[in-house]
Amino acid sequence: MDPGKQALDQVLLVTGISAYVTGTLVLIGYFLSRSKLLKQIGIPLAAIGCLAQFAELGARWNMTGVWPLTNLYGSLSLFSAFGVLIFMIFAIKYDLWFIGFGVLGIAAISLGYATTWNEGYMPAVPALQSYWIKVHVPLVIAAYASFMVAFVVSLIYLLKASFEKRLGGSAIRGSAAGAGANIGVSMSAAYAAPPANVGAIKSDTPRIDAAAARGDFWGLWLAGLPSLGKLDILTYRIVAVGLPLLTVGIITGAWWAKEAWGAYWQWDPKETAALTSWIIYAAYMHLHTRSTWRGSRTAWVSVIGFISIVFCYLGVNIFISGLHSYKM
Amino acid sequence: MKIDVADAHLHPRTNPLAEAYDEFIALFANVLFAVSLFAVWGLLTIIGVIVDQGKDPGFYWQNYTPPLARLVLRLDLNNIYHSAGYVGIIGLILLSLAVCTFKRVIPARLPPLRAVKIDKIPLNASVAVRGEEEAVRGRVNAFFTERGWQVRSREIGGSEWTFADKHNWARRGVLVAHVGFVIIAAGTSLYWAKGFSGTTAVISGQSVVIPETKARITLDRFGYRIDPVQTKSGTVYQPIDYVSDVTYTGADDVAHKAILRVNHPLDIDGTEYYQASYGYAIDFSLTHNGTPVATSPRGPLKEGDGFPIGTSNRSIQYAQFIGTVDRRTGQAAADPRPNDPAVVIDAFEGDREVGRALIPLGGSIDIGGGYRLAASRYTLYSGFQYRYDPGIPLVGIGAFVLLAGLCISFYLLPARLYVQITGANRNWNVGIAATTVKGYTIYEEQFAALVEALRRSEDGPRGSRTAAPAFGTA
Ligand code: HEM
Repeated sequence: MDPGKQALDQVLLVTGISAYVTGTLVLIGYFLSRSKLLKQIGIPLAAIGCLAQFAELGARWNMTGVWPLTNLYGSLSLFSAFGVLIFMIFAIKYDLWFIGFGVLGIAAISLGYATTWNEGYMPAVPALQSYWIKVHVPLVIAAYASFMVAFVVSLIYLLKASFEKRLGGSAIRGSAAGAGANIGVSMSAAYAAPPANVGAIKSDTPRIDAAAARGDFWGLWLAGLPSLGKLDILTYRIVAVGLPLLTVGIITGAWWAKEAWGAYWQWDPKETAALTSWIIYAAYMHLHTRSTWRGSRTAWVSVIGFISIVFCYLGVNIFISGLHSYKM
Repeated sequence: MKIDVADAHLHPRTNPLAEAYDEFIALFANVLFAVSLFAVWGLLTIIGVIVDQGKDPGFYWQNYTPPLARLVLRLDLNNIYHSAGYVGIIGLILLSLAVCTFKRVIPARLPPLRAVKIDKIPLNASVAVRGEEEAVRGRVNAFFTERGWQVRSREIGGSEWTFADKHNWARRGVLVAHVGFVIIAAGTSLYWAKGFSGTTAVISGQSVVIPETKARITLDRFGYRIDPVQTKSGTVYQPIDYVSDVTYTGADDVAHKAILRVNHPLDIDGTEYYQASYGYAIDFSLTHNGTPVATSPRGPLKEGDGFPIGTSNRSIQYAQFIGTVDRRTGQAAADPRPNDPAVVIDAFEGDREVGRALIPLGGSIDIGGGYRLAASRYTLYSGFQYRYDPGIPLVGIGAFVLLAGLCISFYLLPARLYVQITGANRNWNVGIAATTVKGYTIYEEQFAALVEALRRSEDGPRGSRTAAPAFGTA
């Protein structure tokens, strides 16, 4: 193995981890202080980490001549990279930077954990030597990454809703939930209340808004987050990216399985765990069509869905043996 | 959303059968009931991940606590995906899906054009407009049409209403997704009804006839490659390739040469054959006081095969092939390639295992009672899986239809604007309210921008309308 290339690989890996760790700290600062400067520092850190990761995977492929996603190290690296990429796409479109600390934190942890599975450079077993792996694995990992981002938004939703409840209100569920009154320092102009004369959608966190009006620190801080209705819709939009990706991921996996093992579906633990996650997110989509379920309840379903993804991704690989448990 | 059953409660039916039917429809058309079925489906599926599947009952008694083993075996949890419960829940889901699609999705998704109370809809706005009534109506309609809205006008209760729809056709996305799911279910059932699958193993130089298809396959040669690879935790022996050179005869009765490789199945008359496994078949010979015994195996044995020891109730089973014996420990070394091979055999008395021994290839061991067992050469054999699945095209089509349905439902947001123009003389008020199939919040910003664009186009000089931002999907 070319030592120069190996050194480059290491440098890119260290750059990725360092950028995520620093980015997490900076964006925690942004989350707490709403300082624009911290946001402006956090964004390039996220971008640098993500680019370094893709470059590292590319360098590894170039160096070994072997597709780098045949082991847990490669796939966890891609999970972090996709997580940050998908987060950035949504952040640019919907000004989602306030969840950056969560996404970058998870990316840093998963990349750090990935390095414990880094066994060096190994060729793939015959079943993995297929062009399908180049399609199937990235799709599934991108789906996992989307669900991770949705999970973080759901947690923020639940945080805000629980504060509203603690302040004595019950967070308004349902379609009437809408933009919060624009009190306090808003996370973004994109979440500002609609212009006057457009029929106002009532604030869904009146207690938090009242607390903010009193100058209460937490009230001000929470009122600056997007409204519960917006957070709910953001989660929906992200899950709406993840679910089709998971569906195509499962379909391409089935196609590949048909070529490799003779049957497109063998009830292998990995397949079935992925099916369970798919069922949970399909349930999420159906529940989201009911206005009475939109909100805290669907946020919990998104959290449960991501727990099931973690089990499907890591639990099955590590603890349950089957056709997919290529642990190396 | 109107449900027949709700009406039925208002005018209770007297016929108990009709009442039961109404209740059945009400239950199965309920999305929450569907989600409950999903929950049970998910739960059963995950049980199958946690509980080992398809093992002998003995396995569960050995590895699980007795109450758990009993539970697993009683409830069929060891074969959950083919249990009545699992198939039943999918059946219920399909039934619920059908009822729901016809009773709720189709009627509710194409809402009638009707009057509404604009200010009671959370997304509402009003824009003051000046001009002749006809001109104002024309401008407002043109404003929406230019932005891709399908505009329809109706006179309802003496006043004129304008309805503008965006992505109306996408309301059928749910239907498309549901149909996709049903097609997949139909494809899978087709395999259960008409398909078959099996496994077979062929020793190099020998042939097999597949019972279901009558195809004959001869294994001319089996080859594999395993490479030692240096990793951080030491040397790992990594399989690189498995290849079977075969000659097969199918329905055309002509011998064809072919290569079977992992990920490259072979199609013989619609049935596909896959390279699934391989192993080392061993020639054993059993002697008693130096003379061959009648029960000595006639041909090479594969792992798991056995034979009795003479007329006793004892038997021998070939358990495992060891490629390289570590001469220091007498145990298997890490290198699986046959450098210094040996075989592991198990001795049984009836069903009870009484001993295990290692025989170096080319050597023999004393197994008691004057019997001696020798293991000589190995011959590679190749394991094939075969499968005939007429449902595959349907499953494939269903998957794409489902995916299309998901994308239509998720990415195209059907929205409807209710527009009413009120006022007199040259002063008019355009009242607008918007509804979408996914609530109001999802459309809030676009609605605000749309109203703003309308206001600007009316405020500004005529002709400046193009400066307004265009509107698209959610
Ligand atoms: C028990 C079976 C099912 C029932 C009763 C059912 C019922 C429904 C209903 C009533 C809606 C529309 C709700 C509304 O807009 O008011 C819906 C939406 C939908 N269904 Fe199903 N469904 C079932 C299974 C499935 C399955 C297996 C899929 C496959 C993924 C699926 C995919 C969808 C999609 C994509 C939507 C649109 C969701 C959205 O626009 O956010 N459904 N379903």
